[in-house]
Amino acid sequence: MEKTIIINIGNTIIHIEESAYELLKSYLTEVKMHFANHADDLEIVTDIENRIAELLTEQLGQQKKQVVDTETVNMVVAQMGKVQDFETSEDEGPQPVLEESYQYHAQKKLYRDMDERIVAGVCAGIAHYINIEARWVRLIMVISVILGGAGIMFYGLLWIIMPKAESRLEKMEMKGEPANLQGFQKNLDEELQAVKERLKVVNQHAQPLFAQLGTFIGEFFEWFGTFMSGTGKVIFKLIAGFIVFVGFIFLISLLISLAAILGFYDGNAYHYFPLSIINYSYRNSLVFAVFIVLIIPILALVLFSIRVAFNRMAINKTFSYALLIIWLGGVAATGYYIAKISSEFKEHAELSQSVELKKMTVYILDMDKSMIFSKQDSLEYQIDQYDKNRIVIDNPEDNPFSAPRDLKIDIEKSDNGKTSLIQVYAAQGKTFKLALQNAQNINYHYQQKDSLLIFSPRLQLKTESNWRAQRAKMTLKIPIGTIIKIKHNSYRYINNYGWDCDSQEGNTHNDYSIWQMTDEGLKCKYELDHPAKTDQQN
Amino acid sequence: MIAENTQTQMRKGILEYCVLSIISRGEIYASDIIAELRAAKLLVVEGTLYPLLTRLKNNGLLSYNWVESTSGPPRKYFTLTAVGRDILTQLDQTWHELAYAVGVSQQGAKP
Repeated sequence: MEKTIIINIGNTIIHIEESAYELLKSYLTEVKMHFANHADDLEIVTDIENRIAELLTEQLGQQKKQVVDTETVNMVVAQMGKVQDFETSEDEGPQPVLEESYQYHAQKKLYRDMDERIVAGVCAGIAHYINIEARWVRLIMVISVILGGAGIMFYGLLWIIMPKAESRLEKMEMKGEPANLQGFQKNLDEELQAVKERLKVVNQHAQPLFAQLGTFIGEFFEWFGTFMSGTGKVIFKLIAGFIVFVGFIFLISLLISLAAILGFYDGNAYHYFPLSIINYSYRNSLVFAVFIVLIIPILALVLFSIRVAFNRMAINKTFSYALLIIWLGGVAATGYYIAKISSEFKEHAELSQSVELKKMTVYILDMDKSMIFSKQDSLEYQIDQYDKNRIVIDNPEDNPFSAPRDLKIDIEKSDNGKTSLIQVYAAQGKTFKLALQNAQNINYHYQQKDSLLIFSPRLQLKTESNWRAQRAKMTLKIPIGTIIKIKHNSYRYINNYGWDCDSQEGNTHNDYSIWQMTDEGLKCKYELDHPAKTDQQN
Repeated sequence: MIAENTQTQMRKGILEYCVLSIISRGEIYASDIIAELRAAKLLVVEGTLYPLLTRLKNNGLLSYNWVESTSGPPRKYFTLTAVGRDILTQLDQTWHELAYAVGVSQQGAKP
């Protein structure tokens, strides 16, 4: 069995076996080449083709066959005669003319090599011209691109200027090969055209520049398209593969953290600020909803990347719609809980309480970071409350999220000559009642040890109560004339007074500043003792 | 090699004369010319004939008619033009001179 080709030769349709076709084609190519420089090449070749067609038809009729095979072609070729025989018999020998053309073609020309190109064949073309391997030219080009990028301009310019080697003939000119018969293996029409071009058009490269530019732009986009579907595709796939990899790790870590938060974590995290807002009863649902909101887009990204990287759908449409619905559900649940929690900040309530302190002429105001535990806390943390030497220090107070430290301390003049502390606790809640309840949940500690007043820097909330903007305001009322030494660490809670008193002379070695209550409020003791000096300074 | 060259040179000149002579006998198709040449034992391939015919035609010695063929494309049937006949007469003359020259050369001048 052999493949059959239908050819049109001399306006006759002939079925011919592929191998026979190759043979016939090469013969006709030789014939065309032989007469290429002949004045009447077309006519002669047409005559010969017509005759061949006639002979083939005749042979088919005689042999009662439908398809031309190699044997028939050989027979016909023998009758027509080999090209070498033409040369010896033909008086107007084309040989000298051909030799001339050999010399003409042996001259090299600068073309872009479209067969061995990487981008537009400029480097390969130059390499042919100066007869070195293309890789060295490319290397130089790449180096010049890296060193300042002049190579890009140069390359673009050459791309525009250099014509591309399209016909066989141009390719031979590019390589400096003589235009011999072996070189011509292309199909008949192209060959004929190339031969004619050689005869007619010597100066065809004098194309107008804008036409070259048009070709350049066209080719550039063609190249870009090839790049995007070739190398570019590979790059996209690599990126997609990377996303799949990272995405999987992220998904797994999210799953682990979900399991940890829901199942194993003891809930200590909920004592600290942003999480402490969440109501105990909502906690698991909200965590789950947020988890869904986070995980599904990542999952979608991973699935999309899989599609890009491996060219196939990882999931079907139904499943992706299901994912979308679940995600929307997660968003809705999250929104619901957030709205619900926000509503619990609607009402405001305050709780005030006044305590009389032991009267002293001098007070020292200090802050103590050590946590003061209730009996319940002590049991929880397994601290023996009778072990007096043990002190538990709170986590660093600089952490803004550990607990909003809404503590304010005011120092005011006492009207009744007694020392008292007014404690005001405030909180938000859905209703006034709930807000009040939240305010009552505040566990605030202070201590008086004779003249020493120790305040805790933070509010503690009772177990399982949520952060509802709980605030505490301590107003210390002291009679006129009372001296109060304020430790440095208390300044930030007493926003009325600052460091200005501290910088006064004679006060540099202490970690406190001395103040005295006057009729007009608290004054710096140093300023009261040295009024003149202060005036001068002012 | 030298013999071959000389043979080629001789054949080249004679071929054209023979072809013209064959055509002078009446309208004829290219492959029939070949057959005639073969019969005359002037071995030649068809491929050689076409350029020759084309050149003679372009020089005004020949003209042709398209004749429909039963087996394939239309055929070119060649005839001599007036110019062709004129030249053939001249060639006949030349041939006789040459034949005489060759005969004399081979057998020596008859006294």
